[in-house]
Amino acid sequence: MSLGLRKKLGFAIAALCLLLNTPSGGAAGSGVAASVPEDNLAVIVNQSNPIEDLSLKELKAVFLGERSHWPNGRRITLVMMDPGVPERKAVLRDVCHMSETEFSRHFLQGLFTGEVFVSPKTLSTPVGVRKFVFNVPGAIGYVKASDLDGTVKVIHINGRSVDDAEYPLRIEPRPAK
Amino acid sequence: MRSPSLAFRNRHNAGGAAERFVRGLLIFVLLAGGTFAFGQDSANASADQKTIQQLMQRIEKLEARVAQLESARSGPAPATVATGPAALATRPPSGPAAGPPEAPPTPQAQATDPEAEAEHLEPERMDMSKTLLRIRGFGDISFHGTDQQGSTNSFSLGQLNLFVTSDISEKFKFLSEIVFESGPDNFYNMPGGRRNEFGVDVERYLLQYSYNDYFNLAVGRYHTAIGFYNTAYHHSTWFQTTTGRPLLFQFEDSGGILPIHNVGLSASGRIPSGSLGLHYVAEIGNGRQSRSPLSEEPVQNEVDENNYKAFNLALFARPEAIRGLQIGFSGYHDRLQPVGLPRVDETILAAHAVYMAPKFEWLNEVVLVRHSPDGTSQTFNTPGFYTQIAKRFGSYQPYFRYQYINASAREPIFPDVGRMEGPSFGLRYDASESVALKAQYDYNIARHLSPNNALTLQLGFTF
Repeated sequence: MSLGLRKKLGFAIAALCLLLNTPSGGAAGSGVAASVPEDNLAVIVNQSNPIEDLSLKELKAVFLGERSHWPNGRRITLVMMDPGVPERKAVLRDVCHMSETEFSRHFLQGLFTGEVFVSPKTLSTPVGVRKFVFNVPGAIGYVKASDLDGTVKVIHINGRSVDDAEYPLRIEPRPAK
Repeated sequence: MRSPSLAFRNRHNAGGAAERFVRGLLIFVLLAGGTFAFGQDSANASADQKTIQQLMQRIEKLEARVAQLESARSGPAPATVATGPAALATRPPSGPAAGPPEAPPTPQAQATDPEAEAEHLEPERMDMSKTLLRIRGFGDISFHGTDQQGSTNSFSLGQLNLFVTSDISEKFKFLSEIVFESGPDNFYNMPGGRRNEFGVDVERYLLQYSYNDYFNLAVGRYHTAIGFYNTAYHHSTWFQTTTGRPLLFQFEDSGGILPIHNVGLSASGRIPSGSLGLHYVAEIGNGRQSRSPLSEEPVQNEVDENNYKAFNLALFARPEAIRGLQIGFSGYHDRLQPVGLPRVDETILAAHAVYMAPKFEWLNEVVLVRHSPDGTSQTFNTPGFYTQIAKRFGSYQPYFRYQYINASAREPIFPDVGRMEGPSFGLRYDASESVALKAQYDYNIARHLSPNNALTLQLGFTF
C-alpha cells in the first residue's frame, strides 16, 4: 500500500471513529415525540394502575380529594407541584377551578373534617413527581409532556391522549376562538 | 439520585446497547482491517487496491447501518415516553411490586445483561415506610362586651387547637384535636366554675380505616354527625365565618343541648347514586351523659352510664348539578339516666340545606330534640334552628345569622336552657391566608331576661 493511500485510509478511519463517538443530536434532547405539544400537561399514574382514561369531572373529583380510591382499591395519593409552578397553576385553573388560596383551604378543611383522607404530596420538580408516582401505586400527578418518560403511565383525559390536538390540559390556556 | 434526567437515560438505554455493539464491531473491523493492510507487502499494488475497495465497501455498509440505527433511535425513542400515552396505557401492569419498568427490547439490548439494563433504568426508590406526624394549629383571641347586668368586658383566650394527623399506612390514619382552653370548663351558668384556668381536652381521637370510597370506619372520639355544622367546623373559629358556633351546636361543656361528641364507632361513605351524590354516616357510641345535673364531663369517654348505646344515622346528598349544595337529615337515639329522675328516651331529628361556595354561603339547619321520661306519657320537644348567610367581597365577608332555641321550662334534661333567640350581624376580614379578623354584633333575647346587646371582636388564625 502506498503512503498516500495509507494516509487517506487513516483519515477515513479517524473521521469515521469521530463520527461514531460524537454525541447524538437532533431529537435526543427532547424526550417527547415531535408530534406531542410540549405545552400539554400530562396526567400520570403508577404503571400498575389500571386506569386508562378520566373525564375532566372525574379528574376534578380526584384532585379535590372527593375520590379516595382507585377502582383497584388502591388509595389515591395526589402529587402536586409547588405553588407558583406553571404546571400547578394550570391544574388549579383548568381542573380544580380554584385559586391557590381556595385550593389550600379546601384541603385543609377536608382534612379537618376527615373527609379527605390524605393531604396532597407537594414536590418541586418533575423528576420528583415522576419518582413519587413510580414508587407509590396509588399516586397521581402531572408533568409537562416534555418531562415524560417511560417510568410512569400517562392517562387520557376526556378520551384524548396527551399528543392529541384537542387534549384539554395545557400549561398556557388556549386562546379564545 | 443517579441521573438528573430519566428521559435522557431512558433513551440512552433504549438504543445505547445496540449502538455500543455496532461501534465496537466497526472499530474492531477497521483496526483489524488496517492492521491487516499495513501488514501486507506493498509490492502487490493490485492486491492493495482490492483490499482498499473491500474495506471502503465495508465502511459504507457500516455507515449505512449506523445511520439506520440512528434513525431508528430518534423515531421510536420518544416512544419510551411517548410511546407513552398510547403504548403505556396498554402495557401490562408492572409497578414497583412487579419490578422496575423494562427497557424497550431490541436484539442488541437482549445481548447485554437485562438486569443491569433495568437497574440503570430504575429510578431511585423512596423510603415509603416512614409515617408522618403532622400538626396544624388553630387559635383565637377575642374581646367581648355586653350590656347584660353583671357581665364585664373582657379579653378572652379562645381554644388553642392542635390538629394532629398521621398516615399510619395506606388504609389507616390517626386524627386528633388536642385543645387547650381557658374559662369555666363544663360549668355553664354554674357558680364556682374554675374561671381563668387552662385545661386540656382531647376533643377528637380517631383511628380511621379507609377501605374504599363507600366504606370508611373510624373508632374513637368523634363529632356526632348531627346536622351539618358539627362535622364541618369542629374546634376552629378560623374556619367559621362567624365568631362562634350557633347556639344549637354549642359544645356540651359550654351548655350546648346536643351530644356534640361521642365515643364509639363511625362508618361513612358514598352511596352509589350517580349524580345525586348520596352519602351516609352510621354511628354507635356511648352517647352523652345526662345534663341533669350538669356534669363536669358530659362526654362518656371511659364509662357509659348505662348499657344502652347511642345510635345515629345521617344521610345527605351533594348533587353534582349544583356544586356546593348539601341537603341531608339525621336521626339520633339514646337513653339518658338523669340523677333522681326516671330514665329518659332521647331522640334528635335534624335536617339541613346548605350551599357553600368560595364566594357565597347559606346555611340552614333545624333540629328537634325529643325527651320522653319513662313511666309518663309526656314528651318534651325542644326545637331549634338557625339560618346564616354570607357573601365574600375580596377579603371582606359580611354575614348575618338568626338563631332560635326553645326548651320548655319543665324540660327534665334542659332545665337551664329556656328560650334563646336573636340576630347577629358581622364582618369577617381575611388579613392574610391564615389570619381573620371578625367583628360581630348580637342581639340576644331570652325568656325571663331583658334583651341584651353584645359585641365581639375576634382574631382567628391558623398556624
